[in-house]
Amino acid sequence: MSAFHSEYLVWHWPIAFYLFLAGVSAGAMFFAVLLKHLCVKEAPHLSGYIRAACLIAPVTVMAGLGILVTDLTKPLQFWKILLFYNPTSVMSVGVMILLVYTVLMFMWIALVMRPYIDEWSELHLPWLQHITAWLSRVEPTLTGILVILSLSLGAYTGFLLSALPGYPMLNNPVLPILFLLSGLSSGAASSLLGGVLLHGNPDSREVKFIHKIEIPLILVEIVVIFTFFMGLVLTGGQSKIAAMNALGFGFWGAVFWFGILVIGLSVPLAMNLFMTATAKRRWAYVAATASCSLLGVLMLRHFILYTGQLTIA
Amino acid sequence: MDNVRRQFIKGGTALVAATSLYLLHDAGAEDTPQGKVRYALLHDETKCIGCNACAEACRHTNQVPEGVARLRIERSGPYGEFPEQYYRFSRVSCQQCEQAPCVNVCPTGAAYIDDKTGIVSVNSWKCVGCQYCIAACPYHIRFINPLTHSADKCDFCKETNLRDGKQPACVEACPTGALMFGDLEDPHSNIVAALNTQPVYRTKEDLGTHPKLFRIRAKAGGITL
Ligand code: SF4
Ligand code: SF4
Repeated sequence: MSAFHSEYLVWHWPIAFYLFLAGVSAGAMFFAVLLKHLCVKEAPHLSGYIRAACLIAPVTVMAGLGILVTDLTKPLQFWKILLFYNPTSVMSVGVMILLVYTVLMFMWIALVMRPYIDEWSELHLPWLQHITAWLSRVEPTLTGILVILSLSLGAYTGFLLSALPGYPMLNNPVLPILFLLSGLSSGAASSLLGGVLLHGNPDSREVKFIHKIEIPLILVEIVVIFTFFMGLVLTGGQSKIAAMNALGFGFWGAVFWFGILVIGLSVPLAMNLFMTATAKRRWAYVAATASCSLLGVLMLRHFILYTGQLTIA
Repeated sequence: MDNVRRQFIKGGTALVAATSLYLLHDAGAEDTPQGKVRYALLHDETKCIGCNACAEACRHTNQVPEGVARLRIERSGPYGEFPEQYYRFSRVSCQQCEQAPCVNVCPTGAAYIDDKTGIVSVNSWKCVGCQYCIAACPYHIRFINPLTHSADKCDFCKETNLRDGKQPACVEACPTGALMFGDLEDPHSNIVAALNTQPVYRTKEDLGTHPKLFRIRAKAGGITL
Protein backbone atom coordinates (compact mmCIF):
# COMPACT_ATOMS: atom_id res chain seq x y z
CA MET A 1 0.00 0.00 0.00
CA SER A 2 1.45 3.31 -1.02
CA ALA A 3 -0.07 5.09 1.98
CA PHE A 4 2.63 3.46 4.11
CA HIS A 5 5.50 4.46 1.87
CA SER A 6 6.79 7.88 1.03
CA GLU A 7 10.04 9.35 -0.11
CA TYR A 8 11.23 10.76 3.21
CA LEU A 9 9.72 8.19 5.54
CA VAL A 10 12.14 7.25 8.32
CA TRP A 11 9.94 6.10 11.17
CA HIS A 12 7.23 3.58 10.38
CA TRP A 13 4.45 1.76 12.25
CA PRO A 14 6.42 0.26 15.17
CA ILE A 15 7.07 3.82 16.35
CA ALA A 16 3.33 4.58 16.09
CA PHE A 17 2.62 1.58 18.32
CA TYR A 18 5.34 2.65 20.74
CA LEU A 19 3.84 6.14 21.01
CA PHE A 20 0.40 4.62 21.45
CA LEU A 21 1.45 2.16 24.16
CA ALA A 22 3.43 4.73 26.13
CA GLY A 23 0.38 7.03 26.02
CA VAL A 24 -1.96 4.26 27.18
CA SER A 25 0.33 3.45 30.08
CA ALA A 26 0.66 7.07 31.15
CA GLY A 27 -3.09 7.61 30.87
CA ALA A 28 -4.01 4.40 32.70
CA MET A 29 -1.67 5.27 35.56
CA PHE A 30 -3.00 8.81 35.74
CA PHE A 31 -6.59 7.61 35.96
CA ALA A 32 -5.70 4.86 38.43
CA VAL A 33 -4.32 7.52 40.78
CA LEU A 34 -7.38 9.73 40.29
CA LEU A 35 -9.75 6.81 40.86
CA LYS A 36 -7.97 5.76 44.02
CA HIS A 37 -7.74 9.18 45.60
CA LEU A 38 -10.83 10.96 44.38
CA CYS A 39 -13.36 8.21 43.76
CA VAL A 40 -12.83 4.82 45.37
CA LYS A 41 -10.76 5.84 48.41
CA GLU A 42 -11.36 2.69 50.53
CA ALA A 43 -10.11 -0.73 49.43
CA PRO A 44 -8.84 0.22 45.95
CA HIS A 45 -7.59 -3.32 45.38
CA LEU A 46 -11.19 -4.49 45.05
CA SER A 47 -12.13 -2.08 42.25
CA GLY A 48 -12.12 -3.82 38.87
CA TYR A 49 -11.15 -0.59 37.14
CA ILE A 50 -8.15 0.14 39.33
CA ARG A 51 -7.08 -3.47 38.99
CA ALA A 52 -7.38 -3.22 35.23
CA ALA A 53 -5.31 -0.01 35.18
CA CYS A 54 -2.67 -1.63 37.40
CA LEU A 55 -2.43 -4.44 34.88
CA ILE A 56 -2.56 -2.34 31.72
CA ALA A 57 -0.05 0.33 32.74
CA PRO A 58 2.93 -2.03 33.25
CA VAL A 59 2.07 -4.32 30.33
CA THR A 60 1.78 -1.46 27.84
CA VAL A 61 4.89 0.37 28.99
CA MET A 62 6.96 -2.82 28.80
CA ALA A 63 5.53 -3.72 25.40
CA GLY A 64 6.29 -0.19 24.18
CA LEU A 65 9.87 -0.38 25.38
CA GLY A 66 10.20 -3.81 23.79
CA ILE A 67 9.05 -2.42 20.45
CA LEU A 68 11.45 0.51 20.76
CA VAL A 69 14.38 -1.81 21.42
CA THR A 70 13.60 -4.30 18.65
CA ASP A 71 13.24 -1.43 16.20
CA LEU A 72 16.87 -0.35 16.71
CA THR A 73 19.32 -1.51 14.08
CA LYS A 74 21.42 -2.87 16.97
CA PRO A 75 18.86 -4.12 19.49
CA LEU A 76 21.46 -5.85 21.65
CA GLN A 77 23.23 -2.58 22.29
CA PHE A 78 20.21 -0.78 23.71
CA TRP A 79 22.06 -0.50 27.03
CA LYS A 80 24.18 2.22 25.48
CA ILE A 81 21.09 4.47 25.59
CA LEU A 82 21.06 4.04 29.36
CA LEU A 83 24.80 4.39 29.83
CA PHE A 84 25.49 7.41 27.64
CA TYR A 85 23.09 10.15 27.62
CA ASN A 86 22.43 13.46 26.01
CA PRO A 87 20.47 16.17 27.81
CA THR A 88 19.45 17.87 24.55
CA SER A 89 17.90 14.68 23.18
CA VAL A 90 14.18 14.26 23.77
CA MET A 91 14.63 10.52 23.36
CA SER A 92 17.35 10.37 25.99
CA VAL A 93 15.37 12.40 28.52
CA GLY A 94 12.26 10.40 27.64
CA VAL A 95 13.97 7.09 28.33
CA MET A 96 15.05 8.42 31.73
CA ILE A 97 11.47 9.50 32.49
CA LEU A 98 10.24 6.13 31.32
CA LEU A 99 12.59 4.25 33.63
CA VAL A 100 11.83 6.25 36.76
CA TYR A 101 8.15 6.13 35.88
CA THR A 102 8.25 2.34 35.57
CA VAL A 103 9.92 1.93 38.97
CA LEU A 104 7.50 4.29 40.74
CA MET A 105 4.59 2.68 38.96
CA PHE A 106 5.46 -0.71 40.39
CA MET A 107 5.85 0.80 43.85
CA TRP A 108 2.45 2.43 43.59
CA ILE A 109 0.83 -0.78 42.34
CA ALA A 110 2.40 -2.64 45.25
CA LEU A 111 0.70 -0.15 47.56
CA VAL A 112 -2.69 -0.70 45.96
CA MET A 113 -2.23 -4.45 46.20
CA ARG A 114 -0.78 -4.21 49.69
CA PRO A 115 -3.49 -6.33 51.35
CA TYR A 116 -2.62 -9.22 49.04
CA ILE A 117 1.10 -8.76 49.43
CA ASP A 118 0.88 -8.54 53.21
CA GLU A 119 -1.33 -11.59 53.39
CA TRP A 120 1.07 -13.61 51.30
CA SER A 121 4.29 -12.37 52.88
CA GLU A 122 3.05 -13.03 56.40
CA LEU A 123 3.53 -16.70 55.71
CA HIS A 124 6.42 -16.66 53.25
CA LEU A 125 8.53 -13.52 53.44
CA PRO A 126 7.83 -11.54 56.62
CA TRP A 127 10.48 -8.89 55.93
CA LEU A 128 8.61 -7.81 52.83
CA GLN A 129 6.17 -6.11 55.17
CA HIS A 130 8.83 -3.63 56.19
CA ILE A 131 9.01 -2.55 52.57
CA THR A 132 5.27 -2.20 52.15
CA ALA A 133 5.09 -0.27 55.43
CA TRP A 134 7.82 2.06 54.20
CA LEU A 135 5.99 2.48 50.89
CA SER A 136 2.86 3.45 52.82
CA ARG A 137 4.76 6.15 54.64
CA VAL A 138 6.06 7.73 51.45
CA GLU A 139 2.83 7.21 49.53
CA PRO A 140 1.88 10.90 49.11
CA THR A 141 5.34 11.83 47.81
CA LEU A 142 5.38 8.80 45.56
CA THR A 143 1.94 9.60 44.19
CA GLY A 144 2.82 13.22 43.51
CA ILE A 145 5.93 12.32 41.55
CA LEU A 146 4.13 9.53 39.72
CA VAL A 147 1.36 11.87 38.53
CA ILE A 148 3.91 14.36 37.20
CA LEU A 149 5.90 11.59 35.53
CA SER A 150 2.84 10.09 33.88
CA LEU A 151 1.90 13.49 32.48
CA SER A 152 5.50 13.98 31.32
CA LEU A 153 5.48 10.59 29.66
CA GLY A 154 2.27 11.43 27.82
CA ALA A 155 3.71 14.73 26.61
CA TYR A 156 7.07 13.17 25.77
CA THR A 157 5.49 11.01 23.06
CA GLY A 158 4.59 14.28 21.33
CA PHE A 159 7.88 16.06 21.99
CA LEU A 160 9.71 13.12 20.43
CA LEU A 161 8.14 14.01 17.09
CA SER A 162 7.97 17.77 17.50
CA ALA A 163 11.79 17.86 17.87
CA LEU A 164 12.16 17.03 14.17
CA PRO A 165 12.80 20.32 12.32
CA GLY A 166 12.68 18.73 8.86
CA TYR A 167 8.95 17.95 8.92
CA PRO A 168 6.75 21.05 9.32
CA MET A 169 3.69 19.11 10.42
CA LEU A 170 5.54 17.35 13.23
CA ASN A 171 7.64 20.34 14.24
CA ASN A 172 4.57 21.84 15.84
CA PRO A 173 4.22 23.13 19.41
CA VAL A 174 0.65 21.85 19.72
CA LEU A 175 1.63 18.24 19.04
CA PRO A 176 2.77 17.36 22.61
CA ILE A 177 -0.49 18.73 24.02
CA LEU A 178 -2.50 16.74 21.51
CA PHE A 179 -0.60 13.54 22.29
CA LEU A 180 -0.87 14.12 26.03
CA LEU A 181 -4.65 14.57 25.85
CA SER A 182 -5.23 11.66 23.53
CA GLY A 183 -2.88 9.52 25.63
CA LEU A 184 -4.95 10.33 28.72
CA SER A 185 -8.17 9.45 26.97
CA SER A 186 -6.69 6.19 25.68
CA GLY A 187 -5.66 5.38 29.26
CA ALA A 188 -9.18 6.09 30.49
CA ALA A 189 -10.66 3.97 27.71
CA SER A 190 -8.32 1.05 28.33
CA SER A 191 -9.08 1.12 32.07
CA LEU A 192 -12.81 1.05 31.34
CA LEU A 193 -12.47 -1.72 28.81
CA GLY A 194 -10.19 -3.76 31.08
CA GLY A 195 -12.46 -3.04 34.04
CA VAL A 196 -15.61 -4.40 32.45
CA LEU A 197 -13.66 -7.38 31.12
CA LEU A 198 -12.49 -8.06 34.69
CA HIS A 199 -16.16 -8.08 35.73
CA GLY A 200 -16.28 -4.55 37.04
CA ASN A 201 -19.82 -3.25 37.38
CA PRO A 202 -20.57 -1.14 34.26
CA ASP A 203 -22.86 1.09 36.30
CA SER A 204 -20.41 1.79 39.12
CA ARG A 205 -19.17 5.11 40.46
CA GLU A 206 -15.77 4.51 38.81
CA VAL A 207 -17.38 4.47 35.37
CA LYS A 208 -19.39 7.58 36.16
CA PHE A 209 -16.26 9.29 37.45
CA ILE A 210 -14.23 8.50 34.32
CA HIS A 211 -17.06 9.44 31.98
CA LYS A 212 -17.40 12.78 33.73
CA ILE A 213 -13.76 13.54 32.94
CA GLU A 214 -13.89 12.04 29.46
CA ILE A 215 -16.55 14.37 28.10
CA PRO A 216 -14.57 17.60 28.58
CA LEU A 217 -11.39 15.76 27.61
CA ILE A 218 -12.82 14.83 24.20
CA LEU A 219 -14.12 18.36 23.67
CA VAL A 220 -10.72 19.87 24.43
CA GLU A 221 -9.08 17.28 22.16
CA ILE A 222 -11.28 18.40 19.26
CA VAL A 223 -10.33 22.03 19.90
CA VAL A 224 -6.65 21.08 20.03
CA ILE A 225 -6.85 19.15 16.74
CA PHE A 226 -8.52 22.17 15.17
CA THR A 227 -5.80 24.47 16.55
CA PHE A 228 -3.11 22.07 15.32
CA PHE A 229 -4.27 22.25 11.71
CA MET A 230 -5.31 25.91 11.81
CA GLY A 231 -1.81 26.73 13.02
CA LEU A 232 -0.30 24.85 10.07
CA VAL A 233 -2.60 26.50 7.54
CA LEU A 234 -2.01 30.00 8.90
CA THR A 235 1.76 29.48 8.98
CA GLY A 236 1.58 29.02 5.22
CA GLY A 237 4.32 27.65 3.00
CA GLN A 238 5.30 24.03 3.54
CA SER A 239 3.25 23.88 6.76
CA LYS A 240 0.09 24.65 4.86
CA ILE A 241 0.99 22.14 2.15
CA ALA A 242 1.61 19.54 4.87
CA ALA A 243 -1.84 20.14 6.36
CA MET A 244 -3.48 19.93 2.94
CA ASN A 245 -1.63 16.73 2.06
CA ALA A 246 -2.70 15.14 5.32
CA LEU A 247 -6.35 16.14 5.31
CA GLY A 248 -7.09 15.93 1.59
CA PHE A 249 -8.65 13.06 -0.28
CA GLY A 250 -6.99 9.69 -0.17
CA PHE A 251 -6.26 7.03 2.40
CA TRP A 252 -5.05 9.24 5.23
CA GLY A 253 -7.74 11.84 4.66
CA ALA A 254 -10.33 9.10 5.12
CA VAL A 255 -8.55 7.86 8.25
CA PHE A 256 -8.69 11.36 9.67
CA TRP A 257 -12.25 12.35 8.86
CA PHE A 258 -13.92 9.02 9.35
CA GLY A 259 -11.60 7.10 11.64
CA ILE A 260 -10.38 9.79 14.02
CA LEU A 261 -13.10 12.43 14.01
CA VAL A 262 -16.12 10.12 13.73
CA ILE A 263 -15.16 6.80 15.34
CA GLY A 264 -12.49 8.07 17.69
CA LEU A 265 -14.05 11.29 18.97
CA SER A 266 -17.69 11.89 17.94
CA VAL A 267 -19.03 8.41 18.68
CA PRO A 268 -17.47 8.20 22.16
CA LEU A 269 -18.62 11.74 22.92
CA ALA A 270 -22.19 10.96 21.86
CA MET A 271 -22.20 7.67 23.78
CA ASN A 272 -20.82 9.35 26.90
CA LEU A 273 -23.47 12.05 26.74
CA PHE A 274 -26.17 9.46 26.13
CA MET A 275 -25.05 7.30 29.05
CA THR A 276 -24.85 10.34 31.32
CA ALA A 277 -28.28 11.58 30.28
CA THR A 278 -30.11 8.27 30.50
CA ALA A 279 -28.04 6.84 33.36
CA LYS A 280 -28.04 3.57 31.45
CA ARG A 281 -24.61 1.98 31.56
CA ARG A 282 -24.57 -1.50 30.18
CA TRP A 283 -21.58 -3.71 29.68
CA ALA A 284 -21.81 -3.45 25.90
CA TYR A 285 -22.16 0.35 25.90
CA VAL A 286 -19.14 0.90 28.08
CA ALA A 287 -17.02 -1.63 26.18
CA ALA A 288 -18.01 -0.34 22.74
CA THR A 289 -17.36 3.30 23.68
CA ALA A 290 -13.97 2.48 25.11
CA SER A 291 -13.03 0.41 22.05
CA CYS A 292 -13.93 3.29 19.74
CA SER A 293 -11.75 5.71 21.72
CA LEU A 294 -8.81 3.33 21.76
CA LEU A 295 -9.08 2.65 18.06
CA GLY A 296 -9.29 6.39 17.41
CA VAL A 297 -6.11 7.10 19.36
CA LEU A 298 -4.25 4.29 17.62
CA MET A 299 -5.32 5.70 14.28
CA LEU A 300 -4.32 9.21 15.36
CA ARG A 301 -0.78 8.02 16.15
CA HIS A 302 -0.42 6.37 12.74
CA PHE A 303 -2.02 9.29 10.95
CA ILE A 304 0.30 11.87 12.54
CA LEU A 305 3.41 9.74 12.08
CA TYR A 306 2.83 8.89 8.42
CA THR A 307 1.31 12.13 7.15
CA GLY A 308 3.83 14.08 9.22
CA GLN A 309 6.67 12.56 7.21
CA LEU A 310 4.91 13.16 3.89
CA THR A 311 5.87 16.82 3.55
CA ILE A 312 9.33 18.22 4.24
CA ALA A 313 10.51 21.70 5.07
CA MET B 1 -4.99 14.60 55.36
CA ASP B 2 -3.31 18.00 55.45
CA ASN B 3 -0.03 16.33 56.12
CA VAL B 4 -0.59 13.98 53.21
CA ARG B 5 -1.33 16.86 50.89
CA ARG B 6 1.73 18.73 52.03
CA GLN B 7 3.94 15.74 51.38
CA PHE B 8 2.35 15.24 47.97
CA ILE B 9 3.05 18.84 46.99
CA LYS B 10 6.55 18.66 48.44
CA GLY B 11 7.39 15.64 46.28
CA GLY B 12 6.04 17.27 43.16
CA THR B 13 7.79 20.57 43.79
CA ALA B 14 11.09 18.87 44.45
CA LEU B 15 10.86 17.08 41.11
CA VAL B 16 10.03 20.25 39.20
CA ALA B 17 12.80 22.18 40.93
CA ALA B 18 15.34 19.46 40.23
CA THR B 19 14.35 19.39 36.55
CA SER B 20 14.59 23.16 36.15
CA LEU B 21 17.96 23.29 37.82
CA TYR B 22 19.14 20.51 35.60
CA LEU B 23 17.95 22.27 32.46
CA LEU B 24 19.62 25.47 33.58
CA HIS B 25 22.98 24.02 34.42
CA ASP B 26 24.54 24.46 31.00
CA ALA B 27 22.22 27.11 29.61
CA GLY B 28 25.01 29.65 29.26
CA ALA B 29 27.46 27.31 27.58
CA GLU B 30 28.92 28.41 24.24
CA ASP B 31 28.39 25.97 21.39
CA THR B 32 31.04 26.84 18.83
CA PRO B 33 34.61 26.19 19.88
CA GLN B 34 36.73 29.36 19.79
CA GLY B 35 40.26 29.62 18.44
CA LYS B 36 39.96 26.25 16.73
CA VAL B 37 39.62 24.91 13.24
CA ARG B 38 36.19 25.10 11.65
CA TYR B 39 36.12 23.33 8.31
CA ALA B 40 33.72 24.32 5.56
CA LEU B 41 33.14 23.50 1.91
CA LEU B 42 32.15 25.64 -1.05
CA HIS B 43 30.48 24.12 -4.11
CA ASP B 44 30.66 26.38 -7.14
CA GLU B 45 27.64 25.30 -9.16
CA THR B 46 28.73 27.45 -12.09
CA LYS B 47 31.77 25.21 -12.55
CA CYS B 48 30.06 21.88 -11.81
CA ILE B 49 29.44 19.72 -14.89
CA GLY B 50 27.65 16.90 -13.07
CA CYS B 51 30.29 14.27 -13.89
CA ASN B 52 29.93 12.48 -10.53
CA ALA B 53 33.68 12.11 -10.09
CA CYS B 54 33.30 13.42 -6.53
CA ALA B 55 30.66 10.83 -5.63
CA GLU B 56 32.77 8.00 -7.07
CA ALA B 57 35.89 9.16 -5.24
CA CYS B 58 33.94 9.43 -1.97
CA ARG B 59 32.59 5.91 -2.28
CA HIS B 60 36.04 4.54 -2.98
CA THR B 61 37.94 6.47 -0.30
CA ASN B 62 35.45 5.96 2.50
CA GLN B 63 34.45 2.42 1.51
CA VAL B 64 30.77 3.33 1.26
CA PRO B 65 28.78 0.20 0.29
CA GLU B 66 26.51 0.11 -2.77
CA GLY B 67 22.92 1.14 -2.21
CA VAL B 68 23.77 4.03 0.12
CA ALA B 69 25.81 7.19 -0.47
CA ARG B 70 27.45 9.96 1.50
CA LEU B 71 27.45 12.23 -1.51
CA ARG B 72 25.23 12.59 -4.57
CA ILE B 73 24.98 15.19 -7.29
CA GLU B 74 21.39 16.05 -8.05
CA ARG B 75 20.54 17.20 -11.55
CA SER B 76 17.60 19.48 -12.29
CA GLY B 77 16.40 20.94 -15.55
CA PRO B 78 16.78 21.33 -18.44
CA TYR B 79 16.17 25.04 -18.21
CA GLY B 80 16.02 27.60 -21.01
CA GLU B 81 15.20 27.33 -24.71
CA PHE B 82 16.99 25.09 -27.19
CA PRO B 83 19.87 25.46 -28.14
CA GLU B 84 20.65 27.45 -24.98
CA GLN B 85 19.52 24.69 -22.64
CA TYR B 86 21.39 23.79 -19.48
CA TYR B 87 21.08 21.69 -16.33
CA ARG B 88 21.79 22.68 -12.77
CA PHE B 89 23.70 20.48 -10.37
CA SER B 90 23.57 20.61 -6.63
CA ARG B 91 25.47 18.71 -4.01
CA VAL B 92 23.49 16.43 -1.71
CA SER B 93 25.54 15.58 1.37
CA CYS B 94 25.90 16.54 5.01
CA GLN B 95 25.80 20.35 5.34
CA GLN B 96 27.97 20.27 8.47
CA CYS B 97 25.50 22.31 10.49
CA GLU B 98 26.84 24.30 13.42
CA GLN B 99 23.49 23.95 15.16
CA ALA B 100 23.02 20.37 14.07
CA PRO B 101 19.60 18.79 14.69
CA CYS B 102 21.15 15.32 14.36
CA VAL B 103 23.50 16.07 17.27
CA ASN B 104 20.72 17.54 19.39
CA VAL B 105 18.46 14.51 19.13
CA CYS B 106 20.96 11.64 19.37
CA PRO B 107 20.23 9.84 22.65
CA THR B 108 23.73 8.47 23.15
CA GLY B 109 25.91 11.28 21.84
CA ALA B 110 27.01 9.08 18.94
CA ALA B 111 26.25 11.99 16.65
CA TYR B 112 28.62 14.73 17.80
CA ILE B 113 30.57 17.77 16.68
CA ASP B 114 34.29 17.15 16.78
CA ASP B 115 35.90 19.80 18.99
CA LYS B 116 39.13 20.11 17.04
CA THR B 117 37.72 20.43 13.52
CA GLY B 118 34.09 21.45 13.94
CA ILE B 119 33.15 18.44 11.81
CA VAL B 120 29.82 16.76 12.59
CA SER B 121 30.76 13.12 13.03
CA VAL B 122 29.35 9.73 14.02
CA ASN B 123 30.84 7.51 16.70
CA SER B 124 29.87 4.20 15.19
CA TRP B 125 30.45 2.26 18.41
CA LYS B 126 28.13 4.46 20.47
CA CYS B 127 25.37 4.44 17.85
CA VAL B 128 22.46 2.10 18.63
CA GLY B 129 20.64 2.69 15.36
CA CYS B 130 17.53 4.41 16.69
CA GLN B 131 17.42 6.50 13.49
CA TYR B 132 16.32 9.58 15.37
CA CYS B 133 19.12 11.58 13.69
CA ILE B 134 18.02 10.37 10.27
CA ALA B 135 14.53 11.70 10.93
CA ALA B 136 15.88 14.92 12.45
CA CYS B 137 18.26 15.92 9.64
CA PRO B 138 16.35 18.46 7.54
CA TYR B 139 18.59 17.67 4.56
CA HIS B 140 17.71 13.95 4.61
CA ILE B 141 21.25 12.81 3.91
CA ARG B 142 21.90 10.43 6.82
CA PHE B 143 21.54 6.70 6.35
CA ILE B 144 22.17 3.42 8.13
CA ASN B 145 25.35 1.84 6.85
CA PRO B 146 24.38 -1.75 5.99
CA LEU B 147 27.78 -3.07 7.09
CA THR B 148 28.15 -1.34 10.46
CA HIS B 149 24.41 -0.91 11.20
CA SER B 150 25.31 2.58 12.41
CA ALA B 151 24.21 5.96 11.17
CA ASP B 152 26.60 7.28 8.54
CA LYS B 153 27.17 10.41 6.44
CA CYS B 154 29.83 12.73 5.02
CA ASP B 155 32.47 13.76 7.56
CA PHE B 156 34.76 15.65 5.16
CA CYS B 157 36.90 12.47 5.05
CA LYS B 158 37.90 13.09 8.67
CA GLU B 159 38.90 9.45 9.21
CA THR B 160 40.53 8.96 5.80
CA ASN B 161 42.04 11.73 3.68
CA LEU B 162 42.21 14.41 6.39
CA ARG B 163 44.01 12.01 8.65
CA ASP B 164 46.57 11.50 5.89
CA GLY B 165 46.97 15.25 5.53
CA LYS B 166 45.11 15.37 2.22
CA GLN B 167 42.05 17.28 1.05
CA PRO B 168 38.69 15.48 1.09
CA ALA B 169 38.36 12.93 -1.72
CA CYS B 170 35.65 14.85 -3.58
CA VAL B 171 37.74 18.04 -3.63
CA GLU B 172 40.76 16.17 -5.01
CA ALA B 173 38.70 14.39 -7.64
CA CYS B 174 36.78 17.32 -9.10
CA PRO B 175 38.12 17.93 -12.66
CA THR B 176 36.81 21.50 -12.88
CA GLY B 177 37.86 22.68 -9.43
CA ALA B 178 34.27 23.34 -8.39
CA LEU B 179 34.91 22.34 -4.76
CA MET B 180 36.90 24.37 -2.25
CA PHE B 181 37.68 23.14 1.26
CA GLY B 182 39.12 25.18 4.10
CA ASP B 183 39.09 26.62 7.59
CA LEU B 184 36.64 29.41 8.41
CA GLU B 185 38.74 30.42 11.42
CA ASP B 186 41.75 31.20 9.22
CA PRO B 187 41.24 34.71 7.75
CA HIS B 188 43.82 34.05 5.04
CA SER B 189 42.37 30.79 3.76
CA ASN B 190 41.14 30.53 0.18
CA ILE B 191 37.66 29.65 1.28
CA VAL B 192 37.29 32.74 3.47
CA ALA B 193 38.48 34.89 0.56
CA ALA B 194 36.02 33.17 -1.79
CA LEU B 195 33.12 33.56 0.63
CA ASN B 196 33.93 37.24 1.06
CA THR B 197 34.08 38.06 -2.64
CA GLN B 198 31.29 36.03 -4.22
CA PRO B 199 27.53 35.80 -3.68
CA VAL B 200 27.02 32.48 -1.93
CA TYR B 201 23.95 30.78 -0.48
CA ARG B 202 23.14 27.93 1.84
CA THR B 203 20.01 25.79 1.84
CA LYS B 204 17.27 25.75 4.48
CA GLU B 205 19.03 28.41 6.53
CA ASP B 206 15.64 29.44 7.89
CA LEU B 207 15.61 26.28 10.02
CA GLY B 208 18.42 27.73 12.11
CA THR B 209 20.91 24.98 11.29
CA HIS B 210 23.84 27.27 10.32
CA PRO B 211 25.14 24.95 7.59
CA LYS B 212 28.81 25.10 6.55
CA LEU B 213 28.24 23.85 3.02
CA PHE B 214 28.20 27.02 0.91
CA ARG B 215 27.12 27.18 -2.71
CA ILE B 216 27.55 29.56 -5.62
CA ARG B 217 24.38 29.59 -7.70
CA ALA B 218 24.58 28.47 -11.31
CA LYS B 219 22.82 30.35 -14.08
CA ALA B 220 19.36 31.73 -13.52
CA GLY B 221 16.37 29.48 -13.99
CA GLY B 222 14.41 27.02 -11.96
CA ILE B 223 11.88 29.58 -10.85
CA THR B 224 8.33 28.55 -11.60
CA LEU B 225 6.41 31.57 -12.89
S1 SF4 C 1 23.18 18.13 7.33
FE1 SF4 C 1 22.06 16.67 8.57
S2 SF4 C 1 23.60 15.20 9.20
FE2 SF4 C 1 24.71 16.99 8.49
S3 SF4 C 1 25.05 18.20 10.36
FE3 SF4 C 1 23.18 18.98 9.40
S4 SF4 C 1 21.55 17.81 10.44
FE4 SF4 C 1 23.46 16.72 10.84
S1 SF4 D 1 20.96 6.32 14.87
FE1 SF4 D 1 22.88 6.40 16.05
S2 SF4 D 1 23.75 8.41 15.64
FE2 SF4 D 1 21.61 8.48 14.99
S3 SF4 D 1 20.48 9.28 16.76
FE3 SF4 D 1 20.39 7.06 16.93
S4 SF4 D 1 22.16 6.52 18.20
FE4 SF4 D 1 22.51 8.63 17.50
